[in-house]
Amino acid sequence: MNTITFTKDPVDALLKDGLKNLWYPICPSGFVGERPISLRRLGKKIALWRDAAGTLHALEDHCPHRGAPLSQGMVLGDRLACPYHGVEVRCDGTVTKVPGSPGCKLEGTRAALSFHVQEAWGAIFLYNSDVNIDTPPPMTMPEELNSPEYSHFLCYAEWKGDYRYALDNVMDPMHGTFLHKQSHSMAEGESTATFQIRTTDTGFVFEKTGQRGVNFDWTEWGSTGVHWMRLEIPYPKSGGPGGNFAIVGCATPVDGNTTAVFFWRCRKVSSWQRDTWRFLYRNRLEARHWAVLEQDRIMLEQMEPDANQHENLYQHDIGVVRLRRHLRNLAEEQLEAAAAKAGNPA
Amino acid sequence: MQTDRYLEPHQARQRAPTTFEDLLGDAIERAFAEGAHTLPELVACLNRTGPSSENGQPWTESGFQALMARLGN
Ligand code: FES
Ligand SMILES: [Fe+2]
Repeated sequence: MNTITFTKDPVDALLKDGLKNLWYPICPSGFVGERPISLRRLGKKIALWRDAAGTLHALEDHCPHRGAPLSQGMVLGDRLACPYHGVEVRCDGTVTKVPGSPGCKLEGTRAALSFHVQEAWGAIFLYNSDVNIDTPPPMTMPEELNSPEYSHFLCYAEWKGDYRYALDNVMDPMHGTFLHKQSHSMAEGESTATFQIRTTDTGFVFEKTGQRGVNFDWTEWGSTGVHWMRLEIPYPKSGGPGGNFAIVGCATPVDGNTTAVFFWRCRKVSSWQRDTWRFLYRNRLEARHWAVLEQDRIMLEQMEPDANQHENLYQHDIGVVRLRRHLRNLAEEQLEAAAAKAGNPA
Repeated sequence: MQTDRYLEPHQARQRAPTTFEDLLGDAIERAFAEGAHTLPELVACLNRTGPSSENGQPWTESGFQALMARLGN
């Protein structure tokens, strides 16, 4: 199979921009201030802004009149006024005013694509629906982000390459032993291991057999309205009390050749141990975590875009295989559902 | 690092650490590495080997906790 036929595959075309009808983190909360911004995410351009109360809104950054960027326009509370001809669009996608032609039939129609957004854990999450809906389904994240027993920091970065390489990387714990051998936390553990897959309520765990809490020994994939991955890595003794640190990660496609990665670094700590971990994280640990993540980024960015078309996988890679198959199945289901809705079953 | 995309190594802090914070971070890590995992052990270790507290006085448990609450909350 060559690259050209691969990209024409409808399943791959859907996966390239990200599955629909899911929540995705799209940027850190602080990216959106008083002025509207435009972000490329999930194969689209998205205009994001806040109203005077600080409430966040999102529309496709494409004016329903002739496609000018709404993000260049003026904020009018929960609506944007397009800079090109002044058309006003509300955050639910409704055109509320056409100043150049009052009363025209565009007024009152829900002609723009709107997105539901919510802010949590330092990030902005967007519901990737391709039609306007009134109420999106809920999303949850693992307990490391929800439980008050944990403390966490978000690390956000933009990597070159398809987001699926970032997913594969997290679904591949064995690379920790090799790529991250020279790191503050991953020097331990056997360099050979047998892996198994265990099904969970929300996804599956891919784990080494007979080795836990030594290195990067397992990864969990979960689907709870949002697709996430979770793993744990032991801290060295100098990291103090509080046990392993956990990472909850998401990878959001930008434009097919860029990925927005979100890694929440979490630790189960309270009182002075929590504060001390946070002090050390800011001043000592964050830079070391970053250096490890840079090893991943540099490795992935050096891989050819079609590297995954020429592979020889072995036992360590069954997590990668499982995840790819799972995503393809979900994409096929979405395509079938869309075809059935359009009245022409696939 | 100059790039066309967001690659910011320090996202958790608003400013670079002061010299005092640098020394304190090293001292805390050293104490943890030696196994001082309780608050009294940690404070004793800082008083033995670390920088003195901000006002030049010996470390106390409450003083250490208050400082961490400020710098780490
Ligand atoms: S393109 Fe936006 S008002 Fe014409
Ligand atoms: Fe890695």
